[in-house]
Amino acid sequence: MPDLATVHDVAATPLSRSSRPVLRVAIAALVAAAMIGGGPWVLDTYTVNILVRAFFVAIAALTVDVLWGCSGTLTFGQSAFFGIGGYALAIVFTQFGFGPGEAMLAVGAAVGATIVVAGLVGWLSFYPGSTPLYASVISLVLPIVLVQFLYSGGTFTGSSSGLVGFESFDLTLEAWFRLSGLAVIATLVATSIALRSDAGRVLGAMRDNDERCSYLGIDTARVRIGLLVAAAVIAALAGFGYVGFGAVAAPENAGFVFGTQLVVMVALGGRGSLIGAVIGAVVIEVASAYLSTSLPFIWELIVGVAFVAVIVVLPGGLLGGLRDLGRAVRRRGATVSAPVMLRTSEKPNAAPERDAIVVEVSGLSKHFGSLSVLSKISFTARQGELVSLVGPNGAGKTTLIRCLADGRERSEGSVRIAGHSIERLPADRIVGLGLGRKFQAASVFETLSVADCLRVARVRRERPSFLKTSPVLTLPAAARAVVESSGLVERLGDEAQFLSHGLKQALELAMVLALEPKVLLLDEPTAGLTRAERQGFAEILTGLVARERLCVLIIEHDLDFVRLISSRIIVLHQGRIALDGSVADVVDAPLVREIYTGRPASDACGVTP
Amino acid sequence: MITLALDIITTAAILFIVAAGLLIVFGVMKIVNFAHASFITVGAYAALVTSRFGLPPVLAPFVAFLAGGLIGAATERIVVRRLYRRPLDAILATWGLGIVIGQLVTLAFGREVQFVPAPISGTLAAFGVDYSLYRLLLVPTALVIAGLFAGLLNGTRLGLSTRAVIMNENLAQGLGIDSTRVRLITFGIGCGLAAVAGALITPLASVDPNMGLAWLIGAFMLVMVSGGSLLTLGLSCFVLGGLQVLASTFISPILGGLTIAVLAAVALRLRPQGFARA
Repeated sequence: MPDLATVHDVAATPLSRSSRPVLRVAIAALVAAAMIGGGPWVLDTYTVNILVRAFFVAIAALTVDVLWGCSGTLTFGQSAFFGIGGYALAIVFTQFGFGPGEAMLAVGAAVGATIVVAGLVGWLSFYPGSTPLYASVISLVLPIVLVQFLYSGGTFTGSSSGLVGFESFDLTLEAWFRLSGLAVIATLVATSIALRSDAGRVLGAMRDNDERCSYLGIDTARVRIGLLVAAAVIAALAGFGYVGFGAVAAPENAGFVFGTQLVVMVALGGRGSLIGAVIGAVVIEVASAYLSTSLPFIWELIVGVAFVAVIVVLPGGLLGGLRDLGRAVRRRGATVSAPVMLRTSEKPNAAPERDAIVVEVSGLSKHFGSLSVLSKISFTARQGELVSLVGPNGAGKTTLIRCLADGRERSEGSVRIAGHSIERLPADRIVGLGLGRKFQAASVFETLSVADCLRVARVRRERPSFLKTSPVLTLPAAARAVVESSGLVERLGDEAQFLSHGLKQALELAMVLALEPKVLLLDEPTAGLTRAERQGFAEILTGLVARERLCVLIIEHDLDFVRLISSRIIVLHQGRIALDGSVADVVDAPLVREIYTGRPASDACGVTP
Repeated sequence: MITLALDIITTAAILFIVAAGLLIVFGVMKIVNFAHASFITVGAYAALVTSRFGLPPVLAPFVAFLAGGLIGAATERIVVRRLYRRPLDAILATWGLGIVIGQLVTLAFGREVQFVPAPISGTLAAFGVDYSLYRLLLVPTALVIAGLFAGLLNGTRLGLSTRAVIMNENLAQGLGIDSTRVRLITFGIGCGLAAVAGALITPLASVDPNMGLAWLIGAFMLVMVSGGSLLTLGLSCFVLGGLQVLASTFISPILGGLTIAVLAAVALRLRPQGFARA
């Protein structure tokens, strides 16, 4: 495909800059590895001992950061997976003794049990429409249930005193130190590469706006379950190492309190920054070990106060605060984003059937309890039609759009998009049938750059890489036209939150068009736009309909605008279709005047609808 | 059989008393107060102090309400107020507050387990069995709390403002209701109720700085399932509390301890908005 595409280098920045972050990560990792290598010669045994534990805990904290800081799921349950990993080792070595075969069995048990439990927890936590709070609730229940099972396990789990006295890996302290230290560095490097990759960006998009992700055709529940399983396995391996080193497995290692401590470490260090989680974990673990004996209660009090203070005034944690400070010193503009090359994707085989029916609604109703919002709505729309939905507030326009875009919304009736019934499918599957929805309030990914927002919109079309960050942004011609005509092309490297209202609307439209939909749903796209922006928007829309043969359904209040762009108008009134006809038929109909003015047509003389 | 029925009823009453304060905060402010556990602890220590000073034990819940309410109002002003727009962060900050309060209690009273004598001892012969009088008395107490709660919400001007804030905060502000004050008072009352619960359960359990934690998750799950309504909270306490008693009696106490958390999690999966409008 790339051979056929036209390539334009839009940003003039030299390409070599994009390789810099990789280089920086590599240098930092080498320096850290050298420090780990030399550590045991400098530090005393007690400190090395504490650091080994701290490193394993830091890996678990890192998984909390990936789940919470990067993808927005606040979890208290990573301790449970840490515990499962540790107990898998302790139980296998207690039951069968220590040996290479047994060690393999223990790793297998740790990973296997974790995948099963994490899969179950993920299925319970994430489903279309699930709330972040619910996922947190489940993550709270998990360690509590697990610890109760450990308590009731008798000699098998060692009950409340845990398992001790089993033979474990026979490594020197120095070897443990280097092993655990290198494990931290490796996990850190691997996660930061994965998170910066094209696929990793989806996590940030989900954190910013889960709904928008679903309406870009991304099955967010599945992504989150997959992420949880991966994070759980890493946490379990950390717990495996922790217990392997200490040769003690205690219920506290799996408990809810430890789970909250991991969150505290991440919050203090800096959520979402990965390295912050590691620093937070190591500092707190080491300081606790030294201070909890000399100042037992005061130390926890200090951590508690610091935690509350950071959450309230410094949500980015200490590292986030430092970064903001650094940014303020360097001023804006110094942050150079990677260059973006725009590329037009090859047009898929032009629609074979000309102007086929792509929206087919029959007998659609929606009730909230006894209140009927839509009743018996039936209509069809073809490719190349621009149908405006008009009607007074409360007529059910937005509800109708929602019923078309999400199979679980309607109470009765059937909807076919591009010939396929939408059944009770969730939004992301209906996007797959060829439907794109733009929301009323601009819905983009606030902390992602404009180019990244558009890349996330292309995830469904082009499988993203987990390793590489592509400098190329491939867009279909229609989306590219919006990007270029709106001026977004100048702002590709800026975060979406800094865009004006009009540009955000244009960005969302470009994102939806990047899906290459057959049907486009627009909910009051021109509200709050200037006259010039509105004019530009009208041209874009009519162009899409004429050239790409898109079917556009648009909710609009401004009847002048409707008259200008529509090929057909549907008037909704009190949940029913009052009129359905050409522009001339509808705009001058007495009924429309009556609906809009609330008076019989004879009184409404002189009122322009 | 009679004992079992009485166990179920009194357990439901205790759960209701413990969860009521969390419910009012969640219902009005849409945030989960994880410091609830430490306010239960505060109430328990208030009861301990009351009995140390030789005051009549009947006063304990009132002392507890005052202590919990004042500390709660103070924390609302200093911390919680800034987090209404960040509900997940509010969970964390209140959890942190819980750590702070727990450590302060430890510094003041020490770590060891202490006991408060029951104000009323002995048993009542009812329906042919002897049953702890104190546990039985908790049932009318729960009803009184529910009654006061409903009366406050439906019969007073503050209650009217509170309900307005629950339904539509922006509109309420536009109508001149000081929603900041409503929230301050609500949070204070919620924490006060948690402390009352702590004072009331102390004669049944020992007092230590972490005692509240054991109650937190159960109360939290009950509030989530109830979806923010007083009536459904009562109902879920009865149903889930009853199942907990049955599971503990007939299967194992450990499984009984998990009943509420697990069943509530499953119930929420099936009905995410809770059962307030079931």
